Amino acid sequence: MDCTLKSTLKQALKTALALSLVLTFVMPLVASALTVDVTTAKSNETSSNNVLGGVPTRVTWESVVDEGEEVASVTVSLPEGSSFSDESTARLTVLDGIDRLPYADEPVIDTASGSVSVDFSEPVTAGKRIRLELYKTSLPNVEEQVTLSAIATLKDGSQSTAALDESGNVYIQVSKASTAERISSWLDDQAWCQAWNENTFLRTFFKPQVVVSSIPTVAMGWLISLGLVLVGFPLAIPIGLLSAFMKISNSRLLKFLAAIYTGVIRGTPLFLQIYIAFFGLPMLGINLNQYLLAIFVLAFNSGAYLCEIFRAGIQSIPKGQFEASRSLGMTYVQTMKSVIIPQTVRRVIPTMTSEFILLYKDTSLLAAVGVMELMLYSKSIVATTGSMTPYIVAACFYLIVTLPLIKVVGILENKLALTDGGNTSGSGKTKKRKNRRGAFAQMKEEVASAACAPEDGQPATQASSQEKGAQ
Amino acid sequence: MAEQSMISIQHLEKSFGETKVLMDVNIEIQKGEVVVVLGPSGSGKSTMLRCINLLETPTGGHIFIEGQEITDPKVNVNKLREHVGMVFQQFNLFPHLSAKKNVMLAQMKVLKRPKEEAEKIAMERLAEVGLADRADFLPAQLSGGQQQRVAIARALAMDPHVMLFDEATSALDPELVRGVLDVMRELAEEGMTMVVVTHEMGFAREVADRVIFMEGGVVVEEGTPEEVFDHPKSERTKDFLGHIK
Repeated sequence: MDCTLKSTLKQALKTALALSLVLTFVMPLVASALTVDVTTAKSNETSSNNVLGGVPTRVTWESVVDEGEEVASVTVSLPEGSSFSDESTARLTVLDGIDRLPYADEPVIDTASGSVSVDFSEPVTAGKRIRLELYKTSLPNVEEQVTLSAIATLKDGSQSTAALDESGNVYIQVSKASTAERISSWLDDQAWCQAWNENTFLRTFFKPQVVVSSIPTVAMGWLISLGLVLVGFPLAIPIGLLSAFMKISNSRLLKFLAAIYTGVIRGTPLFLQIYIAFFGLPMLGINLNQYLLAIFVLAFNSGAYLCEIFRAGIQSIPKGQFEASRSLGMTYVQTMKSVIIPQTVRRVIPTMTSEFILLYKDTSLLAAVGVMELMLYSKSIVATTGSMTPYIVAACFYLIVTLPLIKVVGILENKLALTDGGNTSGSGKTKKRKNRRGAFAQMKEEVASAACAPEDGQPATQASSQEKGAQ
Repeated sequence: MAEQSMISIQHLEKSFGETKVLMDVNIEIQKGEVVVVLGPSGSGKSTMLRCINLLETPTGGHIFIEGQEITDPKVNVNKLREHVGMVFQQFNLFPHLSAKKNVMLAQMKVLKRPKEEAEKIAMERLAEVGLADRADFLPAQLSGGQQQRVAIARALAMDPHVMLFDEATSALDPELVRGVLDVMRELAEEGMTMVVVTHEMGFAREVADRVIFMEGGVVVEEGTPEEVFDHPKSERTKDFLGHIK
């Protein structure tokens, strides 16, 4: 405690000392000879008026020589963190009112100190306006107001710090630029990029600058979409399992309830379900967080499809599997747990993965009710840039998830066909599974051929009676 | 009272909806007896067999196993099935489990045997059917004959009092039939009570203590293999055997 206090005191003392020194020596010089009234920077961001730091821009600095003074030279220093590049240039203009005076002096850029100086061939007299334009100059990449400092050397050799006009027009609000914005602005200057954008098609759909600048935003939406489906889909699994068991149960009521659920959900568009949930629930006074609601709607929707996948999966297990395990004395629950479910899981994983892909793509429908996800994020950039490119970027973000999964489904199906060996489901069938409807039709065929045997003896009886009846 | 029958089937009836499959079937099977059931397809012999472990629920009559009535609705079906082993035409091995695990599963789940014991017994049973070296193979990696022998080992591991064979060799290629029949023959010689539905006449003649001929849901004729094969009394039996030869 003591130590820190002492050091703080010491620091304060030092600062006071330094300040007094500065005051003693600098004050006499400070008698301002120059008043700065304009310091601006040109916007260097495509879709706004912001001035980005770390990205080249054009800085304009103007000052007026005070009454009774004559300025021989001036040095303008950029704020710390600014930088010049090899392409940076500076231009001097001296004005008398609106007349341009014939000063042709070349300002000198000092890259090391980040300043620009100009020696006037003839001292600039009172009332004259000195304008410096600094091209391709980068301001510090910070989120704050910055200003330029200037020191004028008078005719008699004395120096004076320029005063800042009180109009407030002498500060530049700098926005911190992201890496993407900096790359995008770099692209603006590339010859190949300009040539590329000459082509209407390429400019509309594949504008490099928009690709780069939209990636961070679209990626944000991608994470949200992925998050929605990664939370929603696992929630759909127990819903699907429960309703699948309801469907194969012997209870008419349970069967009926499950049939209504899957019938209504699968028989209406998800788009409609989203509308009802997002506009209907608030009318009932139920106001959920929109992401939470989105997850519920996705889970509820996907649960119905998973129900059918699980049910068909369970019922596609040959009847002989039930009979064999029951004949060994295993109970219904033991049979389900050790024999039927493990085989079902292996069978339904490819179809479940397809369902996951569908659900992931369907998150885009949530854009219609204003849930900020991949689709809506890209739409917002389309609105500001007027380019279709963000949609192409969005497509890529959908594909980086779906393409590998589609590949995985194919591998799993082939593997399943190989290991399934003696039990039905040949490898040829898997190729037919192009879409959800196809998969369901497929499973239905399997179900039709494989009769179920859920409860003691009875269903086997039913199955056999069908066979006998056929005879 | 005479020695209690292992299986006693009395006035067994079974119908599927309107179709009557079994009509008044009466069969007595003694302990250690090997009974072969013959008959054309649709004669109800498989249905009769499946009634014995209640894979089909009889619609009439009574079945007793070791004196206990299994057709009593209060009977614990799972308990009954522990003592009645069944071998299916289609093997019905669990495709996701290795041969050894197929034999171990019900031992652990139903008989609550510890894993080590179940594994030991599984290996013994697999050795008996000549498949000790295939213990870790999946069913898909085994031939049909090997799969059926694993299925027999699986049933035997439960220490059944009766073994039911439902056309155990019908789905096999001819060259694979012998191995399975050899296992069944050994089992018969060891004194296992067996009810065998088959079309293997050679096996029936050689191994059976008694042959039952069924047709149209009734027992048409029964007797020793010599009686039924060489001196059939019924015209229908003669006809059937004539077709087979």
